[in-house]
Amino acid sequence: MTTTQSELSRRDLIKGMGCGVAALMLSSAMVAHPELAHASDGEESDSAWGILIDLTRCTGCQSCALACKETNDRPNPNQTPIGLDTDAYSFVEEKQIENSVGQTESVYVKHQCMNCLHPACVSACTVGALRKTPEGPVVYDADKCIGCRYCQYACPFGVPAYEWENPLGLIHKCQMCADRLAEGESPACVAACPNGALRFGNRKQLLAQAHAQITSNPGRYVDKVYGEYEVGGTSVLYLSPVPFSFLGFPELGDEPNPRYAEAVMKQTPAIALTVASVVTALHLFMQRRQQVNGEATVHITSQKPGDEL
Amino acid sequence: MTVHAPSLRQEWQIGPFRKGDIIAGLLGFLVLIGLAAGVGRLFAGMGATTSLTDAYPWGIWIGFDFALIAFSGVGFTIAAVVHILHLHQFQPLLRPSILAGLFGYVAVLMLLLLDLGRPDRFYNFLLFYNMHSPLFEICWCVLLYTTVLVLEVSPDLLANLPWKWPLRLVYRLMTPVTIIGITLSTLHQSTLGTLYLNMPHRLHPLWYTPILPVLFYISSILAGLSLGIIAYKIAMAVRGQKENPAIAIGLGKGIVAVALLYLLIRVGEVIYAGELPLLLTWTPLNRLWLGEILFCSLIPIVLWATPSLRRQPWVHWVAPLSALLGVGMNRFNATLAAQSAPTSAFYSPSLLEWFSTLGIVAAGMLLWYLAVRFVMGSAVKLGYEQH
Ligand code: SF4
Ligand code: SF4
Ligand code: SF4
Repeated sequence: MTTTQSELSRRDLIKGMGCGVAALMLSSAMVAHPELAHASDGEESDSAWGILIDLTRCTGCQSCALACKETNDRPNPNQTPIGLDTDAYSFVEEKQIENSVGQTESVYVKHQCMNCLHPACVSACTVGALRKTPEGPVVYDADKCIGCRYCQYACPFGVPAYEWENPLGLIHKCQMCADRLAEGESPACVAACPNGALRFGNRKQLLAQAHAQITSNPGRYVDKVYGEYEVGGTSVLYLSPVPFSFLGFPELGDEPNPRYAEAVMKQTPAIALTVASVVTALHLFMQRRQQVNGEATVHITSQKPGDEL
Repeated sequence: MTVHAPSLRQEWQIGPFRKGDIIAGLLGFLVLIGLAAGVGRLFAGMGATTSLTDAYPWGIWIGFDFALIAFSGVGFTIAAVVHILHLHQFQPLLRPSILAGLFGYVAVLMLLLLDLGRPDRFYNFLLFYNMHSPLFEICWCVLLYTTVLVLEVSPDLLANLPWKWPLRLVYRLMTPVTIIGITLSTLHQSTLGTLYLNMPHRLHPLWYTPILPVLFYISSILAGLSLGIIAYKIAMAVRGQKENPAIAIGLGKGIVAVALLYLLIRVGEVIYAGELPLLLTWTPLNRLWLGEILFCSLIPIVLWATPSLRRQPWVHWVAPLSALLGVGMNRFNATLAAQSAPTSAFYSPSLLEWFSTLGIVAAGMLLWYLAVRFVMGSAVKLGYEQH
């Protein structure tokens, strides 16, 4: 290879790479603008259901967790669950906190799927096995699932559980008792609570009630309804006597987590078109340039006989 | 193919016994162990055979998978250099590279099959759509691009057929197929970065950035060009031919440009996002981040950009291997090290995960070795590709 040729080749290489990368950067610049981002399922419908959990009323009796096991046909229905897994879609966690006079006190926190308004699990699922229904529940179609477990990574609350012991494992999670809702019943956990700590109803009305409760009971609650705005809002809402961070609730922004990924995914056809046309143009341009330069026109698949491979 | 093997052997002067055969034997041994491990996973389930948990649902299978996809970017980058940029001096890289891309993706698909909870339903992404899902797009692109790679290597097989029309057809389609291949690669190489955009709550801020797709794409080009040099060098050794150092040097200059671009964007993003203070402490994660930068950008840039260094034969090994190490680290860190699990869980891969992974990677290498040794170049040799 002569010097001129290698000089030329380097410039061409850099130029070509530059073109391709520039096109992609253009697309991603558009992506970085949040106003282009929309979460998967549009705006919340006014009639969607919600569950309001009042932590000041919960005594940790576990009735909800056991009722949840029963309604979902989970094994060992009488065993109190200690975490979210394939056997328990809900559990009640005891949190020790220090109150204002320096004594330790227990706060019981019921955990389950938050049934997000813009669920990251739904956005991520490879085959659309997870779906947000207009009524509120985020439901799972076990027949579609391929067990890729991307939903587990996407969920900011660590909810979806996988059947590790099953060679053909599937995902398990609370689906807000969508079947019971369809039959006009309330979720099993809500129906089972003897202390009025769980309330089922229209999410917007529950929110209004929650804020009214905060105002009319000064000192009882912190002035925040967890789930009102977190990751774009969740169907399950919490009222707490202490700051949510004391109880280990994740501190999440108000934007739905899938916003960037969805914005990029929306650009897929544009990126494909850009790349295909840039590459085609580059191909024609370089081919022509070689002809003009008097170099041999080499067909795309051809080689000089006797060339090295 | 076997029918033609003897004549090819003579033609390319392959001796009766070679170093490559010992390595091939070792690879075959690894494949057998991997096969046993893979069967074990399929029948016993992941709970019994892996260290994966709900806190760490993805392990080294996915880590290797994503690293291998980046490395297999060798197929589209070298095809672009030769066919799109018409830099025909790099033609000798083409066949070893496309073959490396093909068997890289074959390994990727095998790993994916082990990792899927429902391997029996792997085809479900063909039936059910989720346009928002990065993984859905990756599945489609990998499937389509593997088909492209098969078409790109097919002339060497088709040339041996008694009928010539399939060969002519493939030659006619080659330009559009190459362009489609580059497009598909751009999509899924960048979408692998998009995949992590759904995890702002898990991924460390030094890795998480909205421009992850761009970073993943550029680093796949970096890995692809680097693997191209290595594939070429090994292929020449396997075929008993002398390599032309000017080829590696020429490509090395291109690598400098790509690595510089990557470095600028990667470091620029950290500065722009105000994350520089994160780097001022000396934590294991920071060391990993700096390691990535060192191996995938700084070392290749210094080695390829310094005229006295890039003429050294050792640089032609060390520089590309360093880039591959850096890009591989990046994929592993994004999948494992830089992920914070919801609980204080810990993941350390099981032996079966290691054996099955090594077996699959070995299978890819073995197939590549056999193809390079016995099949590659048939179309040229039989006189179907001419000036
Ligand atoms: S909490 Fe997790 S699993 Fe439940 S809807 Fe939200 S993202 Fe999905
Ligand atoms: S594991 Fe199943 S439900 Fe979860 S993302 Fe994958 S296909 Fe969807
Ligand atoms: S809504 Fe149903 S599935 Fe969800 S926690 Fe309550 S009882 Fe369990």
